[in-house]
Amino acid sequence: MAHYENKMICPKCGAEMNHHADKLVDPVKADDAKHINLALGGVIEEMHYCPGCGAVASRRER
Amino acid sequence: MNSARPLSIPVILGTTRKGRMSHHAARFMVEQIAKREKILTELIDISKMPLPTDDAGEAVKDAAFSDKMARADALVIVTPEYNHSFPGLLKHVLDSCLKEYIHKAAGIVGVSAGPFGGVRAIQDFLPVMRELGLVNIFWDVNFGNVSKVFDETGKLADTAFVNRADKFLNELIWMAKTLRYGRDNIALDA
Repeated sequence: MAHYENKMICPKCGAEMNHHADKLVDPVKADDAKHINLALGGVIEEMHYCPGCGAVASRRER
Repeated sequence: MNSARPLSIPVILGTTRKGRMSHHAARFMVEQIAKREKILTELIDISKMPLPTDDAGEAVKDAAFSDKMARADALVIVTPEYNHSFPGLLKHVLDSCLKEYIHKAAGIVGVSAGPFGGVRAIQDFLPVMRELGLVNIFWDVNFGNVSKVFDETGKLADTAFVNRADKFLNELIWMAKTLRYGRDNIALDA
């Protein structure tokens, strides 16, 4: 669960973001091949939300 | 919930067809939302969006639309029923975003020239919304026989829709508040 120790910081207000969802998406980015979760059949995109200003952000699961 | 920020509930008008009656329904929904306190709303007309059709998905993301979806706590999507489904261009627009929608509430308003009020379009729409990460409510507003619901100027002729929209919005706002609380406070591993 290393990704929980690495909180995203809101790009708009600098607050710590809340990781509230993981979404299975198709691999479309150039470096997605190394992130493919074969058991799930795709790439996990982490979804983060800022409690301070309501901004949304996402990143590939590490 | 961070109550300092008002809820944002835009209304998406999901058709580009000339002479569309859905425009009246979308405007009506904006008016109903605007009556509520501490809620921001606006009409997003997909016919005004500069979306190319020579690519698809996040590659054609429009920055202004993305920003509105990111700020939204809930969406009202007004869709006509064309050939028993929703318009392809509406899906093209919605497919241009993803992270902006996750764990946000959505309600669908169906519009049809015939009596069914867009129910087949709505049924078709549900799996799409699910995959986009939107949380659909169990109320719809169905504008069947829409040419009788609004007069030529777009004024509501059937006032029963005020109460229907009220029930729909009560549920949508409850879901929007609940999901914002979750996005604010509840981590995935909690």
